[in-house]
Amino acid sequence: MDTTESIADLYTDHHGWLQRLLRRRLGCSETAADLAQDAFLRLLARPRRFDSPAGARAYLSRMARGMCVDLWRRREIEQAWLAALAEQPEPLAPSAEDRVAVIETLYRVDAMLRRLPEKVARAFLMAQLHGQGYKAIGAALGVSERTVKKYMARAMLECALLEVRLQREEGGDAAPLAAPADDGAGR
Amino acid sequence: MSGGEGAGPDYHSLEQAAQWFALLGDDTVTETQRRAWRRWLNASPDHRRAWQYVEAVGRRFARLRDGDAALSDGTLQRARQQRLSRRRALKGLAVLAGTGLLAGAGWRYTPLPSLARAWRADYRTPVGQRRALTLEDGTRLWLNTDSAVNLDYDRQRRRLTLVRGQVLVDTGRDPRPLDLITGDGELRPLGTRFDVRQADRGSRLSVYQGAVRVRTARGGEERRVPAGRQVRFDGERIGPTGPADPSAEAWTHGLLVAEERPLGELVEELARYRHGHLGVAPEVAGLPVMGTYPLDDTDRALAMLERALPIRVRRVLPWWVTLEPAAP
Repeated sequence: MDTTESIADLYTDHHGWLQRLLRRRLGCSETAADLAQDAFLRLLARPRRFDSPAGARAYLSRMARGMCVDLWRRREIEQAWLAALAEQPEPLAPSAEDRVAVIETLYRVDAMLRRLPEKVARAFLMAQLHGQGYKAIGAALGVSERTVKKYMARAMLECALLEVRLQREEGGDAAPLAAPADDGAGR
Repeated sequence: MSGGEGAGPDYHSLEQAAQWFALLGDDTVTETQRRAWRRWLNASPDHRRAWQYVEAVGRRFARLRDGDAALSDGTLQRARQQRLSRRRALKGLAVLAGTGLLAGAGWRYTPLPSLARAWRADYRTPVGQRRALTLEDGTRLWLNTDSAVNLDYDRQRRRLTLVRGQVLVDTGRDPRPLDLITGDGELRPLGTRFDVRQADRGSRLSVYQGAVRVRTARGGEERRVPAGRQVRFDGERIGPTGPADPSAEAWTHGLLVAEERPLGELVEELARYRHGHLGVAPEVAGLPVMGTYPLDDTDRALAMLERALPIRVRRVLPWWVTLEPAAP
């Protein structure tokens, strides 16, 4: 109860300026209101203590900046997806839920791949999305199979590091969205 | 879940897990190698924890593979390309773009004389096309759609006149001063790269690197606009200085970038790249748009808008297109 109370205080003290800051950044008051709300929900989910109002302010504006970047990237992915869809010879119209789920996944995957060099990301996608063997990938990218294997290890390490961070941010208990169906069987 | 959460796996185990993953992922993997992996996995709880994360990553990709893999691949590549071209585009330039925001400005082009002048101009582009040129002094010009520029170089000075439309200028090294004249005023670039557009009702200057001095044609008002700032001005006055819009120069890459821009404004922009009429119904003109649209294929841009927003594209006649609310 103690934490809820301090959240209430934080909300009273900081909600106004945070929302204004977000509105200035995003140019849209509705989205700003949503994000400001989210920021406090996150604090409610994972309470923190601040030693001073200035500390809380710094933390919240850092959080706001991160949220704006996330939002922008998510939309960037959505637009890229729409553009790719428009280019398909016979686009099948996915349902709204499918669309949300796939864009969420793409957003995460893009975040994982964006830090990798072009060839490494390409090789990883060829293997993971298209199920191509290392030999074929090597031939396509003009590198040896051994290099492809190195690319795979490097890409997976980057992805796994981000996965660790994501799960930690989601509160530690979160297995990624879908039920871990038949993966992980037999050990 | 097993294991102490929050503790997370150690880096070294993750690294090993990633290497095992790379080994097992190849179709040439042998049974001996698989057994070796199982031994590694069972050797320590740290290994098992690390492996869980590798599997979680694998599940994310599996979800994409089960759906439309080509579409996912296309999306990821496109997002990457966009980032690359944005990074290049933001290297630094100044944009001066005409807008319809200076309503009531005293001075304006009447379309007909403007058209006549454009036909006599030294360089021009038709609707829907862009063109890049290099001048004798090394200055580079990018002409946007439906634009025209005159050159006047002599021993003392270099003078460019934007007859109509929009141009991006990358000034060459030359001791002679360079001026760019528009119907609204004169610009003296103090940096290296800037872009000008004029429309019927005034102009907008955004500076991304260096600085540009603006001087209005009749009011004689002057201001130096530094990097990162922008102003709107007409023949008489210069408006307040504000932050520059970083997406405004994307046209040089054939892109129209919208960050929460009203549909009506975006459509006005797209209309510059098409022949015929492109209209938008007032009910949907205020919808915010976010995204990147191709300028070289405005039909595709419209199709993208149609997918992203609750609107439909209605082709009244081949040359007459309006955007309307989608049928309920």
